[in-house]
Order: sequence, then C-alpha cells, then structure tokens
Amino acid sequence: MTLPAEQPTMIEFKDVHKYYGDYHALRGITATIRAGEFFSLLGPSGCGKTTLLRTIAGFEDISSGVVMIDAKDMAGVPANQRPTNMVFQSYAIFPHLTVAENVGFGLRKDPRTKEEKAKAVSEALEMVGLTGFGARAAHALSGGQRQRVALARALILKPKVLLLDEPLSALDKKMREQMQVELIKLQRQVGITFILVTHDQEEALVMSDRIAVMFDGEIAQLDDPETLYRKPANRRVANFIGTMNFLPAKIVSETSQSIQVEAAGFGSFTVAADQASGKKGDEETAVGFRPETLTILFDDQKASDREAMATVEEVVYYGDMTYYDIRLDGAPVAMRLSMRNVPGRPVLDIGARARVAWSTAALVLFR
Amino acid sequence: MKGGGFKIYAVAYLIFLYAPIILLPIFAFNNAAIIAFPLSGFTTKWFQALWAEPALWNAAKNSLIVGVSTSILSTALGVFAARASTRYNFPGKGGILGMIMLPLVLPEIILAVALLVLLLGIGVPLSMFTVTLGHVLVCTPFSIAILSAAFQSLDRSLEEASYDLGENAVTTFWLVILPLVMPGIISSLLITFTISLDEFIMAFFLAGTESTLPVYIFSQFRFPQAVPVIMALGTILVLLSITLLSIAEYFRRRGIARTGGKDTGGFL
Ligand SMILES: Nc1ncnc2c1ncn2[C@@H]1O[C@H](COP(=O)(O)OP(=O)(O)OP(=O)(O)O)[C@@H](O)[C@H]1O
Ligand SMILES: [Mg+2]
Repeated sequence: MTLPAEQPTMIEFKDVHKYYGDYHALRGITATIRAGEFFSLLGPSGCGKTTLLRTIAGFEDISSGVVMIDAKDMAGVPANQRPTNMVFQSYAIFPHLTVAENVGFGLRKDPRTKEEKAKAVSEALEMVGLTGFGARAAHALSGGQRQRVALARALILKPKVLLLDEPLSALDKKMREQMQVELIKLQRQVGITFILVTHDQEEALVMSDRIAVMFDGEIAQLDDPETLYRKPANRRVANFIGTMNFLPAKIVSETSQSIQVEAAGFGSFTVAADQASGKKGDEETAVGFRPETLTILFDDQKASDREAMATVEEVVYYGDMTYYDIRLDGAPVAMRLSMRNVPGRPVLDIGARARVAWSTAALVLFR
Repeated sequence: MKGGGFKIYAVAYLIFLYAPIILLPIFAFNNAAIIAFPLSGFTTKWFQALWAEPALWNAAKNSLIVGVSTSILSTALGVFAARASTRYNFPGKGGILGMIMLPLVLPEIILAVALLVLLLGIGVPLSMFTVTLGHVLVCTPFSIAILSAAFQSLDRSLEEASYDLGENAVTTFWLVILPLVMPGIISSLLITFTISLDEFIMAFFLAGTESTLPVYIFSQFRFPQAVPVIMALGTILVLLSITLLSIAEYFRRRGIARTGGKDTGGFL
C-alpha cells in the first residue's frame, strides 16, 4: 500500500528545532510528508512526537527552521488559519454541547444555510458510524464514541491534513484494533493526509504508509513499515520495532558489492553491501537476526542456506507459536527464535540439541 | 463506645454554633417585647412592624445596591485574575496572587480604617460608593478562589480544539470558556452578594450618613423595644443567606462535575 514517490509533498520540515527553555525538544527535524499519505510518528515517551505534531497544528512555535504545509511557509500562521485539524488525545469534546453541536462547531463561519450545515453534520456522523447520535449530550458518550465525535468534528472541515495524537491509547485492546481498521478505511475513503502519533510500534506498522521513528527529538529512520522492520537503520530502531538478535561480528574484507564477515557461531560468510545499515563506524559491528528468520530443522529437513548445531536454553510456549532461546555452538550469546507450532511436531525441552538453519540474506549488518 | 468522645464533642460544637441562630426565629415569633424565657405566645406582629419602618427600607435598598455592585465588580475582577493565574505565567505570579488574597486573612478593621484614611486623604466623600469599594476589596479574594477552581478544572485542549476549528481568542472565550465556567461565575456572584449583604465593619466606617442593613441593625440595638423587630429581620436575613449559599454551592458542584474535574474544596 505504499504510495508512489511522485505524490506531491504536503508537509515539509526543514531543520526544525524547538527549545523549551534550555531543553532541546526537537533537534533538527528534516522530513517530507506526502499528500494522501497515512504517516506515523513513532517513538518512546518524551521523544518529541507530540511536540512535532503541534508544530504542524500551530500550537507550538518553533525556535528555528521551516514548517511548510502545501508549499506555504507556516511561520506566523496561527492555528485557526492552518489547513489542518486535530484529534486530541483527550478528544477535547466540548462538554456543554450536544454531539451535533460539537461536530458542527467549526462550521460557524461557513456561509452555507442552516439546513445544509445540519446535513453536513449528519453526513459526518454517518461517516464515523454515529448516525442518530446528534442530540446526545457530549458527556453521555463512551470513550470510543467520543473518539468518533472528535474525528467527525475534524473531518467535516475537509482539512488538508488530519493530525491524530495517540487517538487510540485510551481505548481497550479490542476497541483499539477495531478503530485501527476503521481509521485506515476512513483515510482511504476521504483521501486526506493523516499524521498519527503513537508509541505503539504494532499500531504504526499496521496503519501507516510510512513511519518516522523518533528518539530524543531526532528522526532516527523514516521508511515504509516493511523496510523499517527488515532493515532498521540502527540497533536502537531495531530494538524498538519488534525483536532483533545481535551477535558480535568482525568485518574481514569489504568491496563495493559485498562484505566478508566473521561471527562466532556463524562462522565466516559474505553479505551484500546493501545489507549493511547506517553509517560506517556508528556502532560496534554486529549481525542482526529477526527471530522468525532462524528455523529449527526437524528430522531430515534440509537447510536452504546454512545450518549449525545449537542448544535450547529457554522455551516459551504461546499456543500458535513457541519462542526458543538457543545458543549456537561457539556463540557468545543466546538468540531468540520463533517457530510456528505444527501438529505432530514436538516442542523441544530446555537442554535439547537442535539443528538451526538461517539464510545470510536475511541478516542485517550493523557496523 | 468507640468514637463516643468525638460524637459528644461534635454535638456540643453544633449546639454552640447554631443555638443563637435558632433563638432568632423563636423570639421573632414570640409575643413579648422582652427577649427572655418563658415564651408568651405566637405572633407575626414583629414582621408586620418591619413594613412600617422607612429607615429599614432605605437601609435594605442601600444593601441591595451595594451587594449587586459588589458581586458584579468582584466577580469580574475574579474572572480576570483566575484566568491569568491559571493560564499564563509571569514573573512574581505567586507574590502577586498572595497579595490579592491577603484581605482574606487581614483583620478587616485594619483594612477599613486604612481605606477610610486613604479616602478622606484624597478627598472622596463617604457614600454607598465607598462602601462598595471596601466590599469589593473583601469579596474579590473569595471570587478568585471560587473562579480559580472553575478555570483550573477546564481542560486546556478544549481551548486548543476551538482554535483548531477556526475560532480566535475572543470567540473561544465566549463559545467555550465562559459557558464552562458559568456555574463558577454564578456561584461567585451569589457568595459575594451574601458576604456584602451582611458585612458590617466596612459599611460602618465607610458609609458616611447612610447605612446598610447590618449598620441599621446595630444602630437599632440602642432601643430595647426594637429588638424583637431586629430578630424578625435577622430571621429573614439568615434564611436569605442560607438560600443564596445553597444555590451557589449547587452551581459550584455542577460546574466541576460538568467539566469532569475533581472537587477541590469550596466554602460549603
Ligand atoms: N510545555 C513544555 N515545557 C517544557 N518542556 C516540555 C513542554 N512540552 C513538552 N516538553 C518536553 O519535551 C519533550 C517532548 O515532549 P512530547 O510531549 O513531544 O513527548 P512525546 O514524544 O509526545 O511523549 P509521550 O509519548 O509521553 O506523549 C519531553 O521531554 C517533555 O518533557
Ligand atoms: Mg505525546
């Protein structure tokens, strides 16, 4: 579902810095968000996601740099004149108004007639699945319903960009998963650029066309979900998105095409140059494996690429999956491995010996 | 019995607090000019006597004018101060707020004398206007306390949502902030009116030749035959105060419930 790269730019950050007093909250954000994209800002608590979102909405002045929306510099443009609308984390439903009055709040200066506005409101309510809720008092709504009212209230104004600050974090797991799907559908239906702030990596992977992973006020990596997962830019990103095993390694030789690597337990092997992540010298050299790229071989199964003997150190049974911590013979650390459980195949015990297979094409080299 | 000592204390305290107030209606309806037991029959003549007292009507009119002016002025000041103190940060904020709240704990007689000296010094004639001034000084801290709670329980993102939906600072105030703090404003109006209505010291010092109800009551105590009438008047005033304060508390609680905040005190 990745959009073509030639999609026009909707938002552009150029070296954006933000200080709160002495605290450097945004440290040189440079990024482009495309029109019609479902874009997520993902990162741990306090990394500056909300701050960045609020610089788009106009609630936060930036200390230096440029924020452009639809090719217009937003410097000095107040929040009420920006082509953006926001769904607040607390939803910010006006408690003294009805649902319909909340949804129609932004239409006050709209030149349309009262009847046309009422029609627009009921259409917006229908779009978020709240048909017939117009006369309800705002405080008599459940969390999920408040969220829908907030969405309808923002979307009725047909903004160029919809900003969502952790909109699902207040909902329970079931409701959250349901709303994720609904939000994706809604975004496709209206075609508006959505920018979602979340600290939930799964949510970001499920919903987004592209994700910016933020740490400490900086964007560590901006990519589509698949690239982020398959080839994280550094070990911190790799750890934040899913699980990754790291094994200390040594680079033996290197050409523009390929890199010869040696790692205890894995032996000596060659990887393609584009399997190396980040800039050279950023981190200690290591190879990284996702748990599902390692497989235990049973009976007379053959490895398609490489295999080695290992000892099972820990077993965690999940029903459909089993997680093993295994240590390759000669390896300094154990690695997490996940296997889908198949009927008739035994779950191994701690201490068992196993043949483990992997493909060198699936690993990432950090250096 | 566990807690028995406390129970006795509580009952004794309540009797001490309310016995004098209960005596008011008892003697207001007692058919005797002298305030003493035993009681000598039921009458409403003291209430009828109230009607035929032009000085009392004048004092009541004065009290009403002062009370209404005071409640409007101090509530307006309270709105500004509460808004500023809950939304903006400025240097010396704590100190300034402390100074504004000071009249709450300063002996009122000191304030009254100081104000009198000042007003006479700059040549302002004493009148209902100067009483109002004194009452605003006394009442504004109460307004600020009530309204700060109302403004504090207001979720900041409601304002931002209003800006986000195209409104500016002024329209946001009218469309969002004011409706949400309205219960607090009503509560403040009623409480400051009640305080002004039975405030004595300021009114005594600053009224000049006029008098308000409390000052009138005080002056009537020189005439023993007027005492039952005063009891009747006092009964009416007590009922009025209780009613006003109850309504005020109802609005204060409703306001906090409506904005989803926690109850952080109040005067009742
Ligand atoms: N008004 C403010 N004054 C001072 N510091 C602030 C202010 N707002 C945010 N910060 C700081 O800036 C940093 C980034 O805050 P921000 O709210 O953007 O984090 P976040 O990534 O949204 O985190 P969370 O997931 O917890 O919401 C935090 O360390 C925070 O303490
Ligand atoms: Mg946040």
